[in-house]
Parts: sequence; C-alpha cells; structure tokens
Amino acid sequence: MKILLVDDEEKFVSRLAERLELRGFEAHWATTCDGALYKAKTEYYDLAVLDVKMPRLSGIDLKKMLEKINPDMKFIFITGHGSEEDYDMGTREGSFYIIKPFKIETLVEKIEQTLNL
Amino acid sequence: MEKEIGKICAEGFSFFGMTNRLISHELKNILAIISETLGLIDELMELSETGMELEPGKLRSLSESVIEEVERANSIIRNMNTFAHSVDEFIREVDISQTVTLMTEFSQLDSALKNTKLRLMDCGSCVIYTSPFFLEKLIYHVIDFSLRGAGHEKEIRVSFDSDDNGIRIIFSGIASNIIGEFPTKKEDLLAKVLSAKVSLDTTAGELTIALPKRIGESFIQNLLPED
Repeated sequence: MKILLVDDEEKFVSRLAERLELRGFEAHWATTCDGALYKAKTEYYDLAVLDVKMPRLSGIDLKKMLEKINPDMKFIFITGHGSEEDYDMGTREGSFYIIKPFKIETLVEKIEQTLNL
Repeated sequence: MEKEIGKICAEGFSFFGMTNRLISHELKNILAIISETLGLIDELMELSETGMELEPGKLRSLSESVIEEVERANSIIRNMNTFAHSVDEFIREVDISQTVTLMTEFSQLDSALKNTKLRLMDCGSCVIYTSPFFLEKLIYHVIDFSLRGAGHEKEIRVSFDSDDNGIRIIFSGIASNIIGEFPTKKEDLLAKVLSAKVSLDTTAGELTIALPKRIGESFIQNLLPED
C-alpha cells in the first residue's frame, strides 16, 4: 500500500514516513502542495495523509486537486489545531481527522480502517 | 466613551484568544516533531537489539533535532511570556524594536501560510511611552494586512525611524494595486487609543504607523487598575 504524507514541517513528515516504512507501508512525503501534486501525477497512491494548514493551499484544497488526479485516493487529515470548526471540516472532507501530536498506532489504525486492511 | 471602552476591551480579549491559538498550534507542531523523532529513535534501538546495525551519525542527528525543537519551543514560550506581561501596565515605556520583533515572530505562521517573507530591518533601539498591548495589536493588524497585500517580491520589510516628534514604523513591499480598505474602523480605534496615525501609501507600497514619543490623553487610562 502506497501512502503520500504532506506536511510543511519536514522533520515531522520525514520521520513519520520512516516509521510507517518500518511498519511495512510504502510511504512518500512532500512539504509543499506543489511537491505533493507532482508526486501524485507520477505515482499512484492509495491514501494521502494531509496537514490541514499549509502554505499556499489548505489541505482541504489540496485534497480536491489530488482527487482530480486520482479519484480513488483516500484521505486522512492531521492538524495542530483542535478547533471544532477544523474537526467538522476534516471529518466532512476525509475519513478521519487526527490532532497532533498523536501516537503512530493511532495513525496506523486509521490507515488500516480507511483502506480496509 | 463607554461604547469605545467596551469595543477596545472586546478587541483585547479577542487578540489574546487569537495569539493563544497561534502559539498552541506552533507548540503542537513542535511536540509532534519531538514525538516522531523520539519514536523513531526508540524503534531504531529496538531494531538494533534484533541485529540491525545502528548508525551513530543518524542517532546524533535525530537527538540534535530534538534539542533544536526544544529551543524553538522555548523561544515561543518566552515570547508568550513577554506578551502576557504587556497587560501588566496599560501605559509604560515600550522598546519599539522588541515590540516589532515580538509581533513579527507571532506572525511567522501567517507569513508562511501566505508564502510571504516578513523581514525585520535592523534599526537600533527606540523607546516611547505608550500602551504596549494596544500597540502590539495595531502592529499585528498592519502586518496581517501587509501580508495579504504583498507585492510581487512576496516580502514585507519592517523598519522604523524616529525624530523629536515621535517614531514611524514602516511596512514596505505592499502591492500598488492592493485591494481592501485600510485602516478600517478597528485600526482607527486602536490608533485613537495610541494617539497614532496609520496611513497607506499605495504608490510607495508602504504602510506607516506614526506614534508620538508620549501617548496623549487616551480613554484607556480609565482601564488602569485602581490601587
């Protein structure tokens, strides 16, 4: 299963990818929306984990653009914000919404549920 | 007068709420980095116990990045503390360089989200007698508007100068075709509180806050606590 992680905090997203790789997922990462769109155009991803607040485009806007490239792609949102507004938006737009910091097991569980693994 | 006091108090509360949101967001990001880094270190150690070679260079780099994040968090908390103290006294001597630095640092997340650099020029030191809290709020509003209306260079430069009459804080790099009215009623009220003047020069691409060396008669004096 191939996962695309997008977050503007490079240290966070690169280490998260490495930990998912240790758990058997193929995880690629990007720190910008442009980088994520480029990757999605060149490779097929089953799922994208997107930060809600990012420079230039929000995670919600990025989701819409990724869906145009790959309509089958599933989504999970992550954010440092814990507002109700963000939660409503995240759950409406994606299958799950996780607040940072989180345990890797929580993310893995949501990935497995989203992809019916 | 009472209506204005009510408005300015409401603005003050909302400013405190907004800065708390910004700070908690940043701290959560830092905690997430620390959590992932320590989690990875732990997993690499576990793997080394099963025979996988452990790279000392990688471990060092991971542990150094935890230290960096702790320093970043410390800097944010230090700013938060400075900001919290700005309501200790409604009117006092204020170092403009420190105040502008504090507000530019608070606006870094916004600056990143708007893909625009916020650069503070070195202008030395300058002290005026004013309201630190409402000055911070006015500077924050001006930065927010400047970031939304940045010119093609995508860089807002913040500088200040002073003469016998007072000081000017200048925000340059604003697009000449900037959309939106500024200052609005909110900034006008803050400017009134501070005996200041906010002006936008679209030809020069500059927004200026002009402040007197000593705040004039202001209704916020009624907000001073009674001993």
